[in-house]
Formats: sequence, structure tokens, C-alpha cells
Amino acid sequence: MKTWPMWIAGTVVLAAVFHILTVFALPYGIMNRAMAGIAAQAGGVNKALYPEPATAATRGIVRPSPDLLYTACVYDVAARPLRVTSPVPDTYWSLSMFAANTDNFFVVNDRQAPTGRIEIVLANDETTTAGETPVVVAPSSRGIILFRSLIASDEARPAIDALRRQSNCEPL
Amino acid sequence: MRIQEDPGGGLLKLVLKLLASFFVALILGVGSALLLLGSGGLGGTIAIGPWESSDVIGSSEADPYTRARVAIAGLLALNRNETIYFTAAKDDEGAPLRTECTYKIIGSDPPARWWSITAYAADHYLIPNPHDRYSYGGNTVAREEDNSFVISIGRGARDGNWIPTGENDGSFTLTLRLYNPSEAAARDPSGIVLPRIAREACSQ
Repeated sequence: MKTWPMWIAGTVVLAAVFHILTVFALPYGIMNRAMAGIAAQAGGVNKALYPEPATAATRGIVRPSPDLLYTACVYDVAARPLRVTSPVPDTYWSLSMFAANTDNFFVVNDRQAPTGRIEIVLANDETTTAGETPVVVAPSSRGIILFRSLIASDEARPAIDALRRQSNCEPL
Repeated sequence: MRIQEDPGGGLLKLVLKLLASFFVALILGVGSALLLLGSGGLGGTIAIGPWESSDVIGSSEADPYTRARVAIAGLLALNRNETIYFTAAKDDEGAPLRTECTYKIIGSDPPARWWSITAYAADHYLIPNPHDRYSYGGNTVAREEDNSFVISIGRGARDGNWIPTGENDGSFTLTLRLYNPSEAAARDPSGIVLPRIAREACSQ
């Protein structure tokens, strides 16, 4: 009996399995690398990093916008919830959270935070309470928190930069 | 007695066959996935002229292919209520964007609180140039009398709005970001009017 048709069929099926595994695993792998890069520069997880505006020399995250100041923080809420705080400027600003599979599970912008200051607790489970502070439940225990601040003009840059350096994340 | 002599050879043959099958499958499977995901930026379900976008960037509704594409070419992108990202890899005529060609982006403000147009090299990072100029935004672009704008893209220095494409020959892409798009735009991004990308000349 010829066995080569079975071998070809088996190889094709296995190739399909590898194809699907690659597509599913890639976001996790890329996100892991990004988290490792941010955490290494920030000095660990649950610590904020305040990079300079992106230039051609910036090689951390793909397709950065040079018009924004990014502030990043790798969260790890496996052991303890995280308190995320930031002043909110009066130009475009957003606070966004990304799960380990890259999904953007939370975002709030300056217009949705009109008090000029934001405080959020990020937790692993729905039972966490933090008094008056709103609690966001993370779909994965690790991920990335990203603040975007628009550099409205060259003149406004120092003030916006000073403000975003007050953005922070620290374990409860 | 052959049966007792053969097993070693037969087993070796089987193992080799299995290994060959495994590696061929590995190369085909991973290779086809990377080829499919790496081509054409974010890909997209929405096309407006040369600009492409996807409804589900950043969303948990994203299918595995979109999610993987976003991870490669747009990690940490926001969902479309917050920001709509359009990417162009071609000009109005459908020819790939090249750093050795010159282009004019002609348009007027899209329906968003703030927008920007940024050029990226084929590796998805900003294009090195001595002016450190990579983008224009609604707050920085110089406008025509009727409030529209023209942005030149290419190597040679230009007056007015100009994004240099650096020294290296190669393809490049443009990203148009719409921060806080209007409600109508977020509901139906395919209805947005976007700038034209007109090719002028190529230095070859």
C-alpha cells in the first residue's frame, strides 16, 4: 500500500496547525517583548516610564506618533491591585489599557475626565473595591497602561511634559 | 529472519520521515502565517481611496488575523471611538509609495478633534532625516486660503509643509490618525472624506 498520500495529508494538516498557532501566539509574543522592554527601562513592572518624544532613533513600539508624549507602565495585578493616577491636561489626552493579547480593554480621554485629575484602580477580579475610586477589571493579569498627551505646540510642550511626568501607577 | 534485522532501519526511516514532515509543516505553516500577516500593514475592511482601516482595531471583537496584524504594525492602537487609524501604502493610482518619489497630499480637515499624518519606513519606524520632521497635524500644518492643506512628501527640500523621505530607497507608508472622531465618522468610517495622495515624479 502506498503511504505517501497519507504523509502529504498529515503534513498539510500539521502545517495548518502551525499556521493557526502562529496567528494566535504572535500578539502574545509581541506584547511580551514590548512589556519586557518597558519594564526594563522603567526598572520593573508597576512603574511608570516617561520616554522622550519619538524620533527615527526610537525603536521600542512600532509606528509611534511624534506628536504625542507617551507615558507607559507595565501592569502586573496578579498579587495586588494597582492604583493609576494622573493629572489631565486641557489638550488631547488619553489613558488606555491593553491586555496580554493586545486588546484595548479600557480607554478614557481628557473630555471624559473633566475634573483635571484621574484616579483608577486596576484589579484582577471583580470583588476588589477601593472606596470611591472606580475599579477596572483587567482581562489578563499582565499588560500595558499607556498615557497619550498631545504636544499642542512647541510653547506648550514644557507644561504638558511636566504634567505627564506626574502620571503614575503603583501597587495598592 | 528479515523481520528481526529490519526494525532498526525501518524505525530510522520512520523517524526521518516524521522529522521531514514536521519541518516542512513548520516552514509552511509559520511561513504562510507571517507572509499573510506581514503584507499590507493593518489590512482592512474599510478602504477610502488609498487609505485602509479596520473596524475592529484594538477591540476584543477583532478576529485573530486582525489582532496579529495590529500587533505587528500597530501595537497599542486605540479602539475606533477614541481614534481611527488609516494607513496608505499606495498612491491614488494604486502604485506603491516609494521614498525616491515625490507626492502631494491634498485635503482638508477630517471630522475629528485632532488629526495627524505621519510617514513610516518599511520597518514601521519613523524615517531618519536631518530635519527630524516626520508628520503634520491639525495644529501644525500650514493652510491654504480656503483652509485646505497640501503636504509635500519626498527627498528634495520643499517650501511649506514637507515630510522628507530620507536617504534610503524603499517603500514607505502613511498613517492618518483621527483622534476623537465625530460621532458620524466613528459610526461609519467608510463615509469620511480623506486627503488625496498624488504622485508627482520619481528620481530613477
